Amino acid sequence: MNESRTILVRYDEIGLKGKNRDQFINRLVKNIQMQMKDVEGLKFKVPHGRIFIHCSQESSEECIRRLQKIPGIASASVGVTRKPEFDALAAVGVEWIEPLMKPGETFKFCVRTNRADKSYPHKSPEIDREVGSRILGQLHSKGLEVSIKEADFILEIEIGQDETVVFNNRAPGLRGLPVGSSGDILGLISGGIDSPVALYRMMKRGCRAHGIFFDNRPFMGRGGYDKVVKLSKLLNGYQGKSKLYVVPFEDIQVAIRDFCRPAHRVVLYRRMMYRIAQAVAQQKGCLALATGESVGQVASQTIENLNAVSDVVTLSVFRPLIGMNKQEIINEARELDSFDISIEPHPDCCSVFMPPRPATRAKIADLEDDETKYPWELLMLEAMGKMETVDLDNLTV
Amino acid sequence: MIYLDNAATTPMDPEVIDAVQESMRKDFANSGTVYSLGLDVKQRLEDAESQIRESLSIPASHKIIFTSGGSESNNLFIKGYAFPDRKLACLGLEHPSVAQTLEAFRELGNEPVSLLDLQTEGRLDVSNLSRLKNEKVRLLSLSHVNNELGSVNDPTLILQALAEQSPQTRLFLDGVQAVGKLKLSPVMWRGLAGYSISGHKINGPKGIGLLVVEGKIDLQPQIHGGLQQHRMRSGTLPVPLIVGLALAIKKSVEKTEETIKNNQKLSHHLVSKLKSLAESLPELELQFNSSLSEDLSRQSPSIVNFSFAPVEGEVMLHHLEEKEIFVGLGSACSAHSKEPSKILTGIGLTPEEARCSLRISFGAQSTLADVDAFVEAFGEAYRQLYSTFNRKTTHK
Repeated sequence: MNESRTILVRYDEIGLKGKNRDQFINRLVKNIQMQMKDVEGLKFKVPHGRIFIHCSQESSEECIRRLQKIPGIASASVGVTRKPEFDALAAVGVEWIEPLMKPGETFKFCVRTNRADKSYPHKSPEIDREVGSRILGQLHSKGLEVSIKEADFILEIEIGQDETVVFNNRAPGLRGLPVGSSGDILGLISGGIDSPVALYRMMKRGCRAHGIFFDNRPFMGRGGYDKVVKLSKLLNGYQGKSKLYVVPFEDIQVAIRDFCRPAHRVVLYRRMMYRIAQAVAQQKGCLALATGESVGQVASQTIENLNAVSDVVTLSVFRPLIGMNKQEIINEARELDSFDISIEPHPDCCSVFMPPRPATRAKIADLEDDETKYPWELLMLEAMGKMETVDLDNLTV
Repeated sequence: MIYLDNAATTPMDPEVIDAVQESMRKDFANSGTVYSLGLDVKQRLEDAESQIRESLSIPASHKIIFTSGGSESNNLFIKGYAFPDRKLACLGLEHPSVAQTLEAFRELGNEPVSLLDLQTEGRLDVSNLSRLKNEKVRLLSLSHVNNELGSVNDPTLILQALAEQSPQTRLFLDGVQAVGKLKLSPVMWRGLAGYSISGHKINGPKGIGLLVVEGKIDLQPQIHGGLQQHRMRSGTLPVPLIVGLALAIKKSVEKTEETIKNNQKLSHHLVSKLKSLAESLPELELQFNSSLSEDLSRQSPSIVNFSFAPVEGEVMLHHLEEKEIFVGLGSACSAHSKEPSKILTGIGLTPEEARCSLRISFGAQSTLADVDAFVEAFGEAYRQLYSTFNRKTTHK
C-alpha cells in the first residue's frame, strides 16, 4: 500500500510572535525545504498555525527524522488527510487499531480532536464522541474499550480549514526558533565537548552559527583539524549554509610562549583568539561571538580571566554554557551526537604550550604589558591572511 | 613523500596487489566446500601454505594457522596455550599485543613474570634464566625483533639457554618485525613452540597473518565455529589475502640478504649523518636508544631509535610531516595518555628522554637520499624548535 501521507508540523516559539510572525514562518518553511530538497514529491501547505507536508508513505519516516533536527519545530506527526466526516475518520481508527489488538485481551483507546477551523459545525468533544463511538461499535466485541486516562492508543484529529488530518504520533522537535531568524554569529570551536554544544544552543535561538578554529599545526598533527571539520559538519546538518574558518595559530602561540610570562600564556592565547574572531566576524557579517566557556571549568575560565579576554573585543560574546555543569553539557552533547566525536583521542594542545601554573586571576594591566613584548598586530594580520574557509555544505569528504 | 615508518606498516608490493586481485576474481568459492569449485580454491590455499613453508623452511612438525594479523596470532598462541593457569613470563619490552595479553592473565590471578632486570640494550640476557625454572614458568613470550628499538632476541641462543637452565619453559616469539629483515635460521623451528608473522609489515596485505605452532600443541580456540584450521581457528579462510601473504613472504625472504645490506648501509649512514649534525649543532644532544652494534644477532639494522631532549618527538614528527617526511614515534603524547613509551622507559630512559624520541624504520623503497633529506629536515626543525623547548625547561 502506498497511500500518501500528511505530515503536520507544529512550530514552537513562532506561535508567540506578533506582527512579524509570517517572516519567522517563511524562514522555517525555507529551512525545511532546504533540508529536504533531495526528497522527491513533497508538497508544502502553510495554513494558519501549521505547516503541512504531503509526502509518500516511504519517505515519511525520513522526513520526520529530518524535521527533528530543524530548530523552531515543536513537534511533527505523520498522518492521513480525510474528509471531515465522522465515518471516514472512524474508518482510519478501525484500520489502525484493529491490527494492534490481541485475541482475548482488552485494548483501550480514545479520540482527541483539535478544531483549528472554528467554523466546523461540531465542537471537539462532540467529534471525539461521534468518531469514538463508531470505532467502538465495530471493535467492541473484540475487546476494545474507551479510556481517556490509560489509553493504549490515542487517535488524534486535527480539523483545519483546508484539510483534516488523522494521526497517532508526535515526534518531538528541537523547539526554539528557526535558524536565520536571529542573524549570523561566529562561534569559537575546538575539538572538545563544550564548544559544539554552545553553537547548537545558539542555533536553537535562531542564529546561523559559523565556526572559527585555531589550528596549531604543525606543532600538533592534522587530527585536531579533522575532528573540528567533523563536528562542524554535524552542526551544519542542523542549519545548513554555515562555514568554518580555520586560522593558523602556531606562530602566535610560539611568540606568546617565547616572550610573555608563562603564567599568562593561556589568557594571552585566548585574547588573540577573541581579537581574530572579532575581526573575522566583522568581515563575514556575523553579529556576535559565541564560546563554550563555563565559569570555573578550567583556569582560563575564572570570572577574572573571562573579563580579561572579553576586554579585547567590542562585539557581544555569547556564552550559552556559562552556568552549566560539565555533566549537563555532556548530556546535551550526547543529544547533539557530538559527544562521541569530541572524545575521539587526539592531542589538542601540546604540553610545551601549557604553563606549569596558569594564572587564575590575570590582571588586564599585566596582560597588556605582556602584549607589548611581541608584535601581536602583525602576527594577527599574518594569521588572518592564511585563513582557510571550509564550505560545510560542499564538503567532499 | 619520504616514508620512514616501515615498522608501523609498509606499502603493498604491486605484484602482491595483482596476485590478491586476481585471486579475488577467481577464488571466490568457500575452500571448505566439497564441489570442484571449492576444491580448486582449497588447492590454491594448500599451494600458498606449501610456498610459505618452503620460503621460511617451516618443518612438517609445525602447523600453520592463518589469522587476521600479528595481534591475533599473539593472542591466539598465548591464550590458547596458557589459559588459565600456566605460568607465563616476558621480558617486559614486548608489543602491546603480547604485553596486554599477559596482563589479561593477571586478572585471572596468574601473575606473569617480568624479566626486565635481565635486559641489556632491549635484549634478554640469557645467562641467568634459572629463575624461570624456579618460578615454574611454562611459556616465555618475547619479540624476535623489538618493534621500537630493533633489538634482537636470538632464538637459537635463547632456546639453548632454556634447554640448559629451564627445560620446562617453552618459547614463543613475536616475529612480526623479523621476517624479511633478518635471516631466520631453519634450526630455530625445532625448539620453538610458536611464532607469529604479519602480512602488512612485509609489503603484503593488511588483515592477514599467520601463527606457526608446534604440531603437538593443541591451542584452545579463541574463535569458535566451523572447526577450520586444525580446530584451532574457525572462520572461512580469506584465500586471496593468503595468496598475497604467501607471495609477500616469498619475495621478502628471497631478498633478505639484499635488504639487510641495504638497511645496514642506511642505518650506518643515518647514524653518522646525525652524529655530524650534532657536531655542527652544539645544542643537539643525541642519544641512540637502539644499539649501534652491527651484530645481527643483537640488533636489526631496519630500526634506529634516538632521543634529542628537550624537543618533543611528536612535535618534531609534525614538523617533518610538513615536508612530507613520515617517521615513527615510540611514545605518543596523545590526548589519551601522556605516558611515555614503556619500552623506552623499560630500557632506562627518563620519561623526558622517552618523549623526545623518534623511530626511523627502513623499507624496501628507502634510499640514502631519503636519509639525507630526513637529517636535513630534522636539523632545520630542531634549530627552530630548540629555543622554545629549552625556554620551557628553564621556566619550570
